[in-house]
Amino acid sequence: MNPFTWQSALFLAPSIILLFFFSYWPLLQDVWLSFYSWNMISPTMKFVGLQNYLQVLSSSEMIKVLFNTALYIIVLVVINFIVPYLLSFIMTHRINKFSFFYRSALFIPSTISLAVASILFLWIFNPLAGPLNILLSGIGLESPRWFKESGLVIVVIGLIIGWKVFGYNLILLTAAMVDVPKELIEAARLENASNWQLFRRIIIPMTSSTALYVFVITVVFGLQYVLVPVNMLTQGGPDQGSTNLVYIVYQYGFVFFQIGKASAFAILTMLLYAFFLTVKTKVLDKMVHYEN
Amino acid sequence: MRISSNREWHWHLLLLFAVLIQLWPLLFMFSTSFKTMDQIFTSTLNPIPTIFVLDNYFYVLKNLPLTQYILNTLLIASGITVAKIITSILAGFAFVYYEFPHKEKIFNTLLLTFFIPITVVMIPNYLLVSKLGLLNTPWGVMLPQLADGMGIFLMRQSMRNIPKPLLEAGRLENASAWVILTRIILPLIKPAVIAMGIVFFINAWNDYFWPLLILHDKPTYTLPLALQMFISAEGGSEWGIAMAVAMLTCLPPLVLYLACQRFIINTFMQSGVKG
Repeated sequence: MNPFTWQSALFLAPSIILLFFFSYWPLLQDVWLSFYSWNMISPTMKFVGLQNYLQVLSSSEMIKVLFNTALYIIVLVVINFIVPYLLSFIMTHRINKFSFFYRSALFIPSTISLAVASILFLWIFNPLAGPLNILLSGIGLESPRWFKESGLVIVVIGLIIGWKVFGYNLILLTAAMVDVPKELIEAARLENASNWQLFRRIIIPMTSSTALYVFVITVVFGLQYVLVPVNMLTQGGPDQGSTNLVYIVYQYGFVFFQIGKASAFAILTMLLYAFFLTVKTKVLDKMVHYEN
Repeated sequence: MRISSNREWHWHLLLLFAVLIQLWPLLFMFSTSFKTMDQIFTSTLNPIPTIFVLDNYFYVLKNLPLTQYILNTLLIASGITVAKIITSILAGFAFVYYEFPHKEKIFNTLLLTFFIPITVVMIPNYLLVSKLGLLNTPWGVMLPQLADGMGIFLMRQSMRNIPKPLLEAGRLENASAWVILTRIILPLIKPAVIAMGIVFFINAWNDYFWPLLILHDKPTYTLPLALQMFISAEGGSEWGIAMAVAMLTCLPPLVLYLACQRFIINTFMQSGVKG
């Protein structure tokens, strides 16, 4: 290792300056903006203290937003965490061949833009002429108006995000599954351990740190990915039925031009994320200790 | 696993079903883009167009400034990719090669930016870009995306895997840090740099939300933004054309991915937590 000099600081400077300036500094500005009433255009900003927070927290919208956010988290965790977790186990420890094929085929949608995914699924879920409707009517079912029913709309948007993120999470989880020694699983099998015991005693403990990481990014990034289909397909509707804590910042900022409230929502979002990031940091502490 | 191999086929069945679900929408997009309007509604489910037409593509090329959109997207994605590669390599190198106080804390602080949601930073960054007069320009889209916490992490990881004696040898010959980085380290981590670059490029190419805030004039649109124009037709008569634009949007990332699958998958596997 070499001592640090001012010259060596130059290597670090671009990243530190850029990331500070475009990630941490805006965070502080949000705090400041959240105490003002401002419409982004007017030259004067009115200081209102905590009023934005009080209004935001006491609004009926807030309950809906939190409820939707929770529903999104549940849908995203099932589709993008639990299912890939089970599949990554099957791909690593239950089959011998074609594992790489499955991995790369399932990953393909992860390379595709969410804007493409949104328009594609808008057509697939089209309640009149869309292919899913034709499949459903083939077995005598009527297609609901997927993007117009509250509750259902969140599941459908969750599926769009799922299509994109599934393969990526699967690969991260597979990386952890590969590290579980085959001998251990073989031994458990010889002792007639049930699948549940196998999972509880061997798989879950040995993959826990990666699993936790994937769980956190599923929520942290999933709630942001939602922005694209929501903005393209529903604009938060029906009746704010598909908005969430992340999207509402955009709505207040760039649709209603109420910067103060938008910033208050942003700070609340950051608090929610801080919770997940704290969990993440705990994982990070493990991550930074390496063999060398 | 030897013991269960006779029961393996039903796992394969399950996995093939998953592959089918993942790839069916793509196949569907592909075939719809080559169908006539008639076929789109009469043989919706048929994956092979009965008459294979390029009409949708011709329509798009004729009626949209598509070359402009492609160039806009390419410029933005390339600019971001090159900048992120450079800043990530330099910072990753500093973390591996130098000893300095609070090293891990600084590293974690930089890595954490990866997890700050876009909506939290978007209003101040938008105001800044607007103040600089960079709205409606590709530079405004690129500006906040020139460094990357995850990139620094990936580069540090790759450089750590280089055997220490190689770096020692350079140091004994009194080579400068810059020479060690460019002559010894970079050639060794080239595959990781390329893979990371491809991932940066794909993400920047696909980006929708930040460009949406910055680019309002149609001639400045990127491809994902251009897709938005077909949504208003929800009544649904322009699906063939919409799917053609969607195809063109996802083609470059798809080709890059299919050409370098192993690279990319390995890079992604590294970006997760190990141990």
